[in-house]
Amino acid sequence: MLLGVLLIIAFGTSFFTMHFADAQTYPTKSKFGYANDVVEQAFNAVLDAEKAGANVTDLLAQLNDAAGILAQAENIYRTGDYNTAVAQADSVLNASNSIGNQAQALQLATQAQKDETVNLSIIISAASVIVVIIASFLAWRFFKRSYYKRALQMKPEVVSDES
Amino acid sequence: MNLKEYRVVFAATALVLILLGASPLLNAFLSFPNKATPFSELYVLGQNRIMSEYPVEVTNDTDYRVILGIGNHMHESSYYSVDVKFRNQTQSSPDSSNSTPSSLPPLYEYRAFVGDEQSWETTLVFKLQNITYEGNSTLVGNLSINGQTFTVNTPAAWSSQAGDSYYQLFFELWLYNATSNRFEYNDRAVWIWLNFVP
Repeated sequence: MLLGVLLIIAFGTSFFTMHFADAQTYPTKSKFGYANDVVEQAFNAVLDAEKAGANVTDLLAQLNDAAGILAQAENIYRTGDYNTAVAQADSVLNASNSIGNQAQALQLATQAQKDETVNLSIIISAASVIVVIIASFLAWRFFKRSYYKRALQMKPEVVSDES
Repeated sequence: MNLKEYRVVFAATALVLILLGASPLLNAFLSFPNKATPFSELYVLGQNRIMSEYPVEVTNDTDYRVILGIGNHMHESSYYSVDVKFRNQTQSSPDSSNSTPSSLPPLYEYRAFVGDEQSWETTLVFKLQNITYEGNSTLVGNLSINGQTFTVNTPAAWSSQAGDSYYQLFFELWLYNATSNRFEYNDRAVWIWLNFVP
């Protein structure tokens, strides 16, 4: 029991130390990496929505705004103004997360609409095929009957042999 | 026509009608992929969208404008990055035969999301600053791009043949690969030669 408690304390301490060290050592670079990851995840979600058949024009425009700010942050970083660069990179996070969520919602909505269309297509197609088969069968029967009737009503005619 | 032949006509007509009836379902499941080779464009134009208006003869501390554009024909929306780099006649340039970018670090960067069959354009304003001469060479101290100043300290030898010193402002296109989650060089680079006359 005591050993277990000691292990939990030791593990917990090292976990918090590790995160603290990360934040202290890579405050700027990690922010850029994180901001890039968030924008890329948002784009992946938009791409999935597009593949599902959604119109993503609005989302792409929003992503363009976020990417413009992120690129600007990287450019500012290169000039040495780290604080402004980090603030700009930070400002991209919320917008990108929101775009990612919108894209996922759009993908689900498009998929649901697509499923509904497919279900409707199945019903319409099945009904059409059944109607065509029954109509063809009835039409054939009617035609066959009238064909035989016409054949039976035919009278043999004597044709003079001129040869 | 005898009855057998009529039956064939009936069966064929019924089959065509069945296919027509099933067309909504076929339409939902059948897709015809675009077989054209996907590609991306990168272009640079003079400020009035005319190639002959490229800034060629440049002077110290003067603004010059070019239009930079990307065209997406990848059959899906794409995420692009354009690296802006500056070099003299001897420094590393993009190599189209090996599909490798220049080894120089980017000075400036653009990011753009472009829909399929759409294009993206921006105006780039640049100026060369702190230009000094020493013997037969020119040294460009700073390059300002869209109001941000970067230290380049790039020398260029004076060409006795041309009577000028040449620099190149060039642009490399990188495309985000959603599978590997990273930007990859797209083997597209465009440039303008800058001729600095003392």
